[in-house]
Amino acid sequence: MWERFVNELSTTMQEIAGSIGQFLPRLMVMLLVVVIGWLIAYVLKSIVRSILRFAKFDRISQDAGAAQFLKNAALPSSTELLSRFVFWVAWVGFMLAGINFLGIAGLEEQISNFFVFLPRLFVALFVLFFGLWAASFFSRAVLLAAVNADLPSPRLISFTIQTLIILFTISMACEAVGIAHRTVLVAFALILGALMLGLAIAFGLGGQDLARRYLERRLQHPKKEEREDELSPL
Amino acid sequence: MPEGSILTDDFLRELMNVGEVDILVGVPTFNDGKTVGQVVQAVRAGLLKYFPRQRTVIINVDGGSRDGTQEIVRAASISDLRHVSNVNTLRTLHSISTRYEGGTSPGSALHTVFAAADLLRAGNCAIVSPDSTSLEPEWIERLLRPVVRDNVDLVTPIYRRHKFDGLLVSNLVYPMTRALYCKRVREPHPSEFAFSGRLAAHFLEQDLWEQEACQMGAETCLTLSAINGGFRLAQSFLGSRARPEQAPSDLIRALRQTVGVLFWSLEANVPSCSAATESEAVPTIGAEHEVTLEPLRINRKRLHQMFVHGVAELEPILRSILSEGTLAELRQIATVPEDDFRYSDELWVRSVYEFAASYHKAVISRDHIVQALAPLYRGKAYTFLGQNRDASANQVEANVEQLCLTFERAKPYLLEMWNGRK
Amino acid sequence: MATPHASLKLQESLWYKDAVIYQVHVRTFYDSNGDGIGDFRGLAQKLDYLQELGINAIWLMPFFPSPLRDDGYDIADYFSVHPSYGNLEDFKLFLDAAHQRGIRVIIEMVLNHTSDQHPWFQESRSSRTNPKRDWYVWSETDDRYRDTRIIFVDTEMSNWAWDPISKEYYWHRFFSHQPDLNYDNPVVREQMWGVMKFWLEMGVDGFRLDAVPYLLEREGTNCENLPETHDVLKEIRARLDKEYPGRVLLAEANQWPADLRPYFGNGDEFHMAFHFPLMPRMFMGLKLEDRKPITEILQQTPAIPENCQWSLFLRNHDELTLEMVTDMERDYMYDEYAKDKSMRINLGIRRRLAPLLDNDRRRIELMNGMLMSMPGTPIIYYGDEIGMGDNVNLGDRNGVRTPMQWDGGWNGGFSAADPESLYSPLMLNPVYGFQALNVQSQKRFDHSLLSWMKRIIRVRKSAPVFGRGTIEFLYPANHRVLAYVRQLGKETVLVVNNLSSAAQAVELDLKRFKGNILIEMFGKNIFPRIGDLPYLLTMGPYQFYWFRLRKI
Repeated sequence: MWERFVNELSTTMQEIAGSIGQFLPRLMVMLLVVVIGWLIAYVLKSIVRSILRFAKFDRISQDAGAAQFLKNAALPSSTELLSRFVFWVAWVGFMLAGINFLGIAGLEEQISNFFVFLPRLFVALFVLFFGLWAASFFSRAVLLAAVNADLPSPRLISFTIQTLIILFTISMACEAVGIAHRTVLVAFALILGALMLGLAIAFGLGGQDLARRYLERRLQHPKKEEREDELSPL
Repeated sequence: MPEGSILTDDFLRELMNVGEVDILVGVPTFNDGKTVGQVVQAVRAGLLKYFPRQRTVIINVDGGSRDGTQEIVRAASISDLRHVSNVNTLRTLHSISTRYEGGTSPGSALHTVFAAADLLRAGNCAIVSPDSTSLEPEWIERLLRPVVRDNVDLVTPIYRRHKFDGLLVSNLVYPMTRALYCKRVREPHPSEFAFSGRLAAHFLEQDLWEQEACQMGAETCLTLSAINGGFRLAQSFLGSRARPEQAPSDLIRALRQTVGVLFWSLEANVPSCSAATESEAVPTIGAEHEVTLEPLRINRKRLHQMFVHGVAELEPILRSILSEGTLAELRQIATVPEDDFRYSDELWVRSVYEFAASYHKAVISRDHIVQALAPLYRGKAYTFLGQNRDASANQVEANVEQLCLTFERAKPYLLEMWNGRK
Repeated sequence: MATPHASLKLQESLWYKDAVIYQVHVRTFYDSNGDGIGDFRGLAQKLDYLQELGINAIWLMPFFPSPLRDDGYDIADYFSVHPSYGNLEDFKLFLDAAHQRGIRVIIEMVLNHTSDQHPWFQESRSSRTNPKRDWYVWSETDDRYRDTRIIFVDTEMSNWAWDPISKEYYWHRFFSHQPDLNYDNPVVREQMWGVMKFWLEMGVDGFRLDAVPYLLEREGTNCENLPETHDVLKEIRARLDKEYPGRVLLAEANQWPADLRPYFGNGDEFHMAFHFPLMPRMFMGLKLEDRKPITEILQQTPAIPENCQWSLFLRNHDELTLEMVTDMERDYMYDEYAKDKSMRINLGIRRRLAPLLDNDRRRIELMNGMLMSMPGTPIIYYGDEIGMGDNVNLGDRNGVRTPMQWDGGWNGGFSAADPESLYSPLMLNPVYGFQALNVQSQKRFDHSLLSWMKRIIRVRKSAPVFGRGTIEFLYPANHRVLAYVRQLGKETVLVVNNLSSAAQAVELDLKRFKGNILIEMFGKNIFPRIGDLPYLLTMGPYQFYWFRLRKI
């Protein structure tokens, strides 16, 4: 009994020692990978940051109104945000790769899934970011143009545009991530919306003035002889 | 056109033929075939009459007209003057024309003129507007004489105007320029003006042409640059500026050209403009101001409507630009019936300064900020029209002066907003 | 990263790269006290003229007390001013007045030797045991350092001279009345630094160090350019930089460019050195109507450290030296520029710029144009800005050292003394004489040489690229045209010189500057834009163009 117990114990101990012996180098490798990954991610982050700084990305995003968007969300500047994002993605990638070395069954598949998923996530986030930005920018542009052209219910027009763009963005982002394949159908349903979006963009950005004049001519109150514009502002 | 150049080879060849000049007059055009002939004739007559000994050139820069504008300018060469018996000329007067890239943007046109002035070492330059049908030969003398004789660097015009003409200038651009930069320049966005070669070179060096604001409102940009560079300024009374038929009275465009530039210029100049306090007069040749009073039929009602409508509809945008107090006051006056409506000077100045500060912080797209000012301006214009309906020329002037002083007094408020969080 | 202030300071300390230097001997310029000899008070009075000319540095030739047996290069007292030129106070007055006008002053310093009248030598020769004995180089025999050449071949037989008092030979590389100091002796080195310190304290902006290759002697060498000599010079530079930053050292070392290169060290020896071999080749190229001699010598010229600079000249107080040319070249130069044997001295030609160029205004302008546009700091020899002549009948090189011609009046406006008592007779002939050729008459006309010199100096100073930029030769097929591109940062200047006496057409390959407009720098007029085809220029006889390249 005692012998068996001792035997079992020693066998177990040996097994444990064996598996520790097997596991320890892997753990070391993993730690190494994680540390190296951190270094590489850090370097990547610095590179991205300096590239963006050099390209004056903050100014660009500020001019586009994205800075305020970030500020409202209490987020750091867009340069900082982007470089941090790159850092985390890279490091998490390395961490997962490191965990892979541990050889824990089942995990490997999940991890490889993650790597397949990663670029899609990237695209989705990208689409989402710019979609939201575009929604706020164009809805505002339309609102201003409508008010200054004295169109009826400008808010409604602007809100419609915004909703359409956001819907479109979300469906595109979902599509990119690969979840909810059915949203493709919704997207098709939204083709009309897309068309309108195209018009809105064209009118709002491409030919604001043209569009306004066009709209003025079409929709203006007919009392032309009483327009204030007889006074030159300059 | 060679890559990276703003001058075509043909234009360069023409400049080579012209060589060094003393006086250069630039005429930027875009589909101005109807009026440009008359203007160029007047310019030429002015040059021949008042500056017969100087080497002169008229340069037309065209944005791609399809109505033969360029041909009309080219035709105005010395040859067809020969049969005019009373004009004697000493020298060849060149009149050349070129196209510039960049469509109708006034910045590109002026950039081309400035580059030509620099290459020809023109010490004295003037720009005239192709639609100034009331331009007389004397205008050339009045604009250029201070530069030629008194070494003035920038001569801005003073026009005889109707009391309700140029409300954006009298209610915003002039008072705000004066308050911020302490120089009383009546027309910070002139359509006719003269400048020295020194100023042109200084302006060229600054690389402002790439800036969007400067592309839109190069004239305002030049005025502000002359003030800030410590250049010598003068104003010269020209006469009535005929408003061309179907004036392109596009308010948004006008706002971008003037207020947009003014806001933008503050970025670089806030430290210096916060130091100066008292505004000083600019030496003026001829009348300080002349106002005509003939009655005009104006639809004030619509101005009021658009103000009320704008304040209501743009609320989310205005909220991000204006302080809570200011917005609340605006909403309050928007509820006042039309006859009692009054947009006070104080509130107007506060609104404008808050817009300037928000522009600085780029709370939303800067162009949107400028556009959002339009309904408020309409409200102010409504108030001004009502206030001065029966006013004499002097009263109108006194009211404008009052507004200027309000702008000057409120300057600390702007600086406070500028550095503040919201 | 350097702060703006620091970089400004650095730019300022490189002033010698942008300078235009005027070389003058105080004796020759203006006599304020009527004794027939120019003096410092006189020089100070004429500073306005120099400021108007546009120069911003003066190089003064030796003005120390001296028996004047070698034009002052035989110094008898390093701490004073020769009484004929005034006193230390006058010098200080002049120095301050120059600085007020933004003109720097470089003075001559003779390190290699003293006069035999110098008290140090008097003591040293007094006995073999005198404590100052080893301040000079003494020897019992005259056969040491046999491999050393003799420089003044016309007057000296040996580098050793017998001293009858202490009964030994002393070493001299130049005249026998100029014994060489012994730089192996640390006390001598310390003494000479003391001398330099004295003048630096007074405010001078730099030294032209005379005869620097000869400071030390070693058996078995030719005793020139020795490493030990460089050590001495480096030590001087280190002390100068430490205690008097911004002051400069200018080397006089008549050597081939490759042998001169070590005098710049790693930017830790001389700031500037004369480019001796270039000068005769400019004259040669002009006469041959061929750019080859000039491009050849500049190709052989090694690159120098960033903070160093060549100094260039057309003429100076010495002969047009032909030491640094081949025998064939020397013969050609003699035949073309000094047919008359009396014009030759040692290995060179003792003439001024205008007579050398047959008083041809176009050639004078071309040569000055090249001087001002080649990489280096130009030096103008006094009088050459008005085209003064020379007098070969005066002995030695005194023919190019006649008084400055200010006006057509008494003594050419140089002095109120009797004409007989002047240190040197004035030029009197109808072409170069002071009545025909003087500052006052040239000031009156825009087309005079003086007015033209003012203009070219002004244009040169308007473009730092001339002093600091790189040079790259273009080799158009027409060999009579010397063309080069100077570049500094964004600034590019194209220089085209026609060395020929006839009009020339030349096609330049400017493809890499495509799209630029040429702007002629004197008239500032526009020339056609550079396109894909070779750039065609036509040039009048001896004409030159400076173009600024501009993109607009």
